[in-house]
Amino acid sequence: MPQLDPAVFIPQIFWLFVIFAALYFFIAYSAAPKIADVLKKRQNVISDDLAIAERVQAQAEQARIVFEKSQSDARDAAAAKVLSKREELKAQVEADYQKLSAELSANAQNAQKEIDAAKDKALGEVRDVASDVCAQIITKVSGLNIDQKQVSKMVAGKTSSILKGNS
Amino acid sequence: MAGPLAQFEVHTIVPLQVAGYDISFTNSALYMGVTLITIMFFMIGGMRKVALVPGRWQSSVEMCYEFIAKMLGDTTGSEGRKYFPFIFSLFMFILAANLIGMVPWLHTFTFTSHIAVTFAMAFFVFMGVTIIGFITHGFKFLMFFVPHGAPWYLLIILIPIEIISYLSRPISLSVRLFANMVAGHTMLKVFGGFVVSLGALAGVMAAGSILPFAFIVALTGLELLVACLQAYVFAILTCLYLNDALHMH
Repeated sequence: MPQLDPAVFIPQIFWLFVIFAALYFFIAYSAAPKIADVLKKRQNVISDDLAIAERVQAQAEQARIVFEKSQSDARDAAAAKVLSKREELKAQVEADYQKLSAELSANAQNAQKEIDAAKDKALGEVRDVASDVCAQIITKVSGLNIDQKQVSKMVAGKTSSILKGNS
Repeated sequence: MAGPLAQFEVHTIVPLQVAGYDISFTNSALYMGVTLITIMFFMIGGMRKVALVPGRWQSSVEMCYEFIAKMLGDTTGSEGRKYFPFIFSLFMFILAANLIGMVPWLHTFTFTSHIAVTFAMAFFVFMGVTIIGFITHGFKFLMFFVPHGAPWYLLIILIPIEIISYLSRPISLSVRLFANMVAGHTMLKVFGGFVVSLGALAGVMAAGSILPFAFIVALTGLELLVACLQAYVFAILTCLYLNDALHMH
């Protein structure tokens, strides 16, 4: 085996030492720091981006909460407005109804009064006519000169009892 | 035709002698240089235009980095972080060396198939880890060899076993990588030799070379896996030894 020839030991070990030292210094002072730097920069960018994303997400969440709150506030306000308007209208309708019904009942009472007055008047006239007719009939039939006042008194008593029985 | 072990031969390219020691620039050293340049090309190329969203090349470089960073973090915690460049260099060096050694046709040289190289790396790791252990814990690091909760009469047996197992770490670490690479490359070469010698036969017999050729294809896939796996094993064992030195038990 050529590997076991002691003559090849020293030159190989010498050059191994020289070249490996060169490689070590190249890696330790040039390559490795450069790679580490790139990796660190990338890590920073990623974590920065993640932080920004987190912040923006929090803002969006905040905006969503504000929006939802304003939406529900508006809904509540609208409902309250509708309710108060309804109450108002109800009260107004009620008031109008009261007023109108009072007016109507007043009118009805007046009309009743007028009717009553007209009725009384008509009854009075009927009484007069009846007593006239009675007097005429008595005069014609009996030939007696009867006192007008007495006849009308009698008729009035009779009619009022008839009217009482009728009504 | 060259034998299956000829691929492991070291040839001097530029002879050099310093203070009586032979430090000739060999094909082994050449491929160490090729490995270094490949890693530098891979890393500089991947990071030449760094993008927030990485492209394929940059992504590959970052994947290697994060793979080793995660492995080191998982095994040693935050104390091991300052040894990251070393572990990363070690992993990339072995990985690139193993993969370059898998390139066919070019007679590439796999220096991780040399016990001198793997043992030098393993011994360096072993010494480094031991020194870190003594620096971190002082002489209390010797308590590492005393298992917790064992009765005193067992310690007479257990302490030597612990010491031997600790001292054998550089051997197991280096031999594992070395043996895997040698075995794989030798197998490829042997079956490659079968393809050639069967193909040289007359007529229909030459078709028989299909079989070892198909085997080589499958074996190449396996060897690519082994190349990556052994780099990973070397790196993770280094991390585990480092963890022992930093945290003892």
